[in-house]
Amino acid sequence: MSLHISGISPLSQIQTDVAAPTTGDGGTSFKDVLNSAIGEVENSRSSASKSVEKFLSGDGEDLHSTILATQRAELEFQMFVQVRNKVVSAYQEIMKMPM
Amino acid sequence: MSLLSALSISASGMSAQRQRTELLVENLANSDTTRTPEGGPYRRKDAVFVSDPSAAQFSSLFESEMNSGSGVRVSEVITDKRDPEKRYLPGHPDADKDGYVAYPRMNPAEDMVDLLGASRGYQANVSAVSAVKDMIQKSLDLFK
Amino acid sequence: MFQGIALNSEHYMSLLSARQKLVASNIANADTPGYHTQDINFRAEFESALAGETSTEPTVMEPEGLVAKPDGNNVNIDREARLLAENSMRFSIASNFARAELNSVKTAIQESK
Repeated sequence: MSLHISGISPLSQIQTDVAAPTTGDGGTSFKDVLNSAIGEVENSRSSASKSVEKFLSGDGEDLHSTILATQRAELEFQMFVQVRNKVVSAYQEIMKMPM
Repeated sequence: MSLLSALSISASGMSAQRQRTELLVENLANSDTTRTPEGGPYRRKDAVFVSDPSAAQFSSLFESEMNSGSGVRVSEVITDKRDPEKRYLPGHPDADKDGYVAYPRMNPAEDMVDLLGASRGYQANVSAVSAVKDMIQKSLDLFK
Repeated sequence: MFQGIALNSEHYMSLLSARQKLVASNIANADTPGYHTQDINFRAEFESALAGETSTEPTVMEPEGLVAKPDGNNVNIDREARLLAENSMRFSIASNFARAELNSVKTAIQESK
């Protein structure tokens, strides 16, 4: 029996379907995370402040709504503080990595 | 209407029932009084209750608070205008020329029942004040 | 540093304690012949405090609708008792608001590493 040996064809270029990832695009940066958290905290703080002012002026605001608004703002602030701490320590971790 | 104005509405209820009690007690004490400074026998007094939104307001001048609810107050004290009851007692110092003495036209049993009603009304308002005060304190517990 | 809730609450509490002083003197003078009930226009004073007008003392005025007894005294003890209770209740509410706000600031101070 005779083997028909043909030359080795060169390896075809491996087609990469996955596009090379563009830097930073489509992902959120540390700054974006913190900014959106700050925005939420500001919103709940200002609405709590308005609620308290309405209540003290006697403008028909319920006592329980006002108290819950202030407590909600407080909790969001504490949540933000924890988020900030985690983000900062994550950032510091990354900065420690040798390049 | 806020929780705090509910407090003052109940307070006005207590005040009105208290004034009503004072009048009823006066009636009972004077059920046999034949001589008064105004002349003639004692005349029974009654309180007229009227609803009053100013009892619910916190600021003493008018507030534009919507739906502030209304408390109660005694608008006037009415005196019985009926003719007094005449009893035949010739020896009595207040007897007139025919020997009749003018006694207050009153049914003490009626006033005693009214007194019970006023007392119950007062207690009901006190319970309301306790309940509302409790709710406010519990709301303040949210701060802890 | 203290603005918003804590400042508003502080104004509120100042006005409440001024009003409470007048209530106390009204109660003390409940039997004084010729004595007229004293009060402040709470809502107007609070609104002017919110608007930032720093007046020193609230104006004392006489509330309307009080009936004078034959000796000229028009103190209604029920009204004063109700105000005594309501003023102190509102005071504790406002102080709780201020305390919650100050705790927020404390958290911010303690957490900053």
